[in-house]
Amino acid sequence: MIKSVPRDSQPGGQGLLATLRAWRIAHPLASYAVRRFLVYLLTLWGSFTVTFFFFRLIPGNPIEAYIQSLQAKQIYNASASQDLVKYYNTIFGLDGNLFQQYIHYMNQLIIKHDLGPSLLNFPDPSQVLIARSLPWTIGLLGLATIISWILGLILGALIGWRREKKAAEWVTNVCIGLSHIPYYFVALILIFLLAYQFDLFPSTAAYNPVYNPGLNWDFISSVVQHGFLPALSIVIISVCGWMLSTRMLMVTTLGEDYLTFAEAKGLKPRHILMRYALRNCYLPLITGLGINLGFIFNGNVLVEQLFAYPGIGYLFVTAVQQLDYNTIQGIVALAIFGVLTANLILDLLLPVLDPRVKYN
Amino acid sequence: MRRFLLALGGLWNASRKVQAGVLILAFFILVAILHQPLSALIGHGRDPLALSEAAAWQMPNGEHWLGTDRYGRDILAMTVTGLTASLEVGAIAGLLSTIFGVIVAFVGGYKGGRLDSILSGTTDVFLVVPSFPLLITLSAYTSRVSLFSVAVILAIFSWPFAARTTRSQVLSLRSRPYVELAKVTKLNDFEIIFQELLPNLLPFIGVGFASASLGSIFALVGLEVIGLGPSGILDLGQMLNWSQGWGALSLGAWPIFVAPVFVLAMLFFSVNLINIGLEEVYNPRLRKTAGA
Repeated sequence: MIKSVPRDSQPGGQGLLATLRAWRIAHPLASYAVRRFLVYLLTLWGSFTVTFFFFRLIPGNPIEAYIQSLQAKQIYNASASQDLVKYYNTIFGLDGNLFQQYIHYMNQLIIKHDLGPSLLNFPDPSQVLIARSLPWTIGLLGLATIISWILGLILGALIGWRREKKAAEWVTNVCIGLSHIPYYFVALILIFLLAYQFDLFPSTAAYNPVYNPGLNWDFISSVVQHGFLPALSIVIISVCGWMLSTRMLMVTTLGEDYLTFAEAKGLKPRHILMRYALRNCYLPLITGLGINLGFIFNGNVLVEQLFAYPGIGYLFVTAVQQLDYNTIQGIVALAIFGVLTANLILDLLLPVLDPRVKYN
Repeated sequence: MRRFLLALGGLWNASRKVQAGVLILAFFILVAILHQPLSALIGHGRDPLALSEAAAWQMPNGEHWLGTDRYGRDILAMTVTGLTASLEVGAIAGLLSTIFGVIVAFVGGYKGGRLDSILSGTTDVFLVVPSFPLLITLSAYTSRVSLFSVAVILAIFSWPFAARTTRSQVLSLRSRPYVELAKVTKLNDFEIIFQELLPNLLPFIGVGFASASLGSIFALVGLEVIGLGPSGILDLGQMLNWSQGWGALSLGAWPIFVAPVFVLAMLFFSVNLINIGLEEVYNPRLRKTAGA
């Protein structure tokens, strides 16, 4: 006898599954969010695992390197005792085989929120060092990113709107030329011109150590002065990138019928630009901004290095020179976390911002 | 083959941006190939890179068009020689990552199914892992590397980009009518990939190759600026490292860092032009409106 029973209504057994399925159908939005969050956790775990094994497979023994550097500073005699090495191995999580080390690391990272002791500044755990550099990087790169996004949006909308003008064409070509040049190159030229030739801005460090860090005018103006050149070198280039993408979006939008209709209705051109054309370009631009903000946690190694700016990138290079495992791994983990979290927030936010985006 | 050449000719005529980009790129490649006779010409028969009695830190003049460095070596000759090494690294790294990325993309994109999910999942994880920090770490631990091994390391980090872009193209081409037709006429997978898909994707693969090469060149420059990277090889990044180490910025000796920065920026510019030109050709919506 052939009987067709819908799987949902099968009696008994799959009670929980059936409830889950019913819940998913009843709440598509929440179920999308949950699924997206699970994917996020999975990717996070995957990339942490990849980086963990990457760092462990690199030849070189950090403990040996550390003891050697201590010996170079003549803190210890010719050879460190076996006990000391054993002690270091334990606190650095290097006991046992690779799998046991992996469990130790993951446990430390996820349960204890601890990255392990750093070598740069020994008893301090790595997260303390990272937390010290993070504000500088976030301040510098975050501000530079947001400023260039806003400028790029405005200028890009203008050159897209007036795309037939010769001037707009030239600006576009200049942008194409500049948009892919590494920040570092501009930074070099700017340091040479503005810091050395004309002596307008300081070329290194984040503030003048004469002033006490705090909420006083001297300190703040010193921070702004020191941050100006690195920020400018980033803004000059990334504005061009945002301008090009805004212009590209504008140009494709301007061909749409509803804009012709808006013009036929006799709306003011400015109204059409702001309310009709630009609004439809926001979505990819906001996505781009979010992804770029996520990448901030990488720091900008070259620019920070060139200006000796005490951010994440600078810390990273110092950590690499000292072969400071835990700090290096912590910074990489932070960078991964930043990018993935930015993506997660965007994916959850976009459907709210633009009703045309479908959950799937 | 004839069909392919015709298509290339069509591309050439279709966009002035592509023309300009190809010409700039071709010029630099030519300079790199001819670097030996060129540097002989610059040195008037002597080796312009040998330590010489010429005065140090000369500004550009008739004898040394771009001046000299700390040891009286000619900077123009340094730039030409450095360009060769940089392009060499770029070519090797670009080639390796393009080949690997394209294979992954074709296998995953054409076959689909679970294999595709695994391959693109792996690609995604690699894309998220921040490559430049890892690159720095890797070169810090492996000191004294050769030009070739640096190129291989660079390729490890750039293949996912090639795989990602090619895969999306394969996905869109897979369901085109002429591929369906080829399937109906019982061509096997290899024949379809090599006769139908690959020729249509060559411009994209070419651009992917150029971007991967440039990315690798810049990554190497970045490594050398920090003071890592292969030892004993003169390339453009090495010049930048020297200019910083020798305090050229504060001495006002601009040629030693302006020359490599200019050359690298022009390389970026040309590849970018080709990229944008191709996009306009393939996406007619942009063609009329994109400036020039």
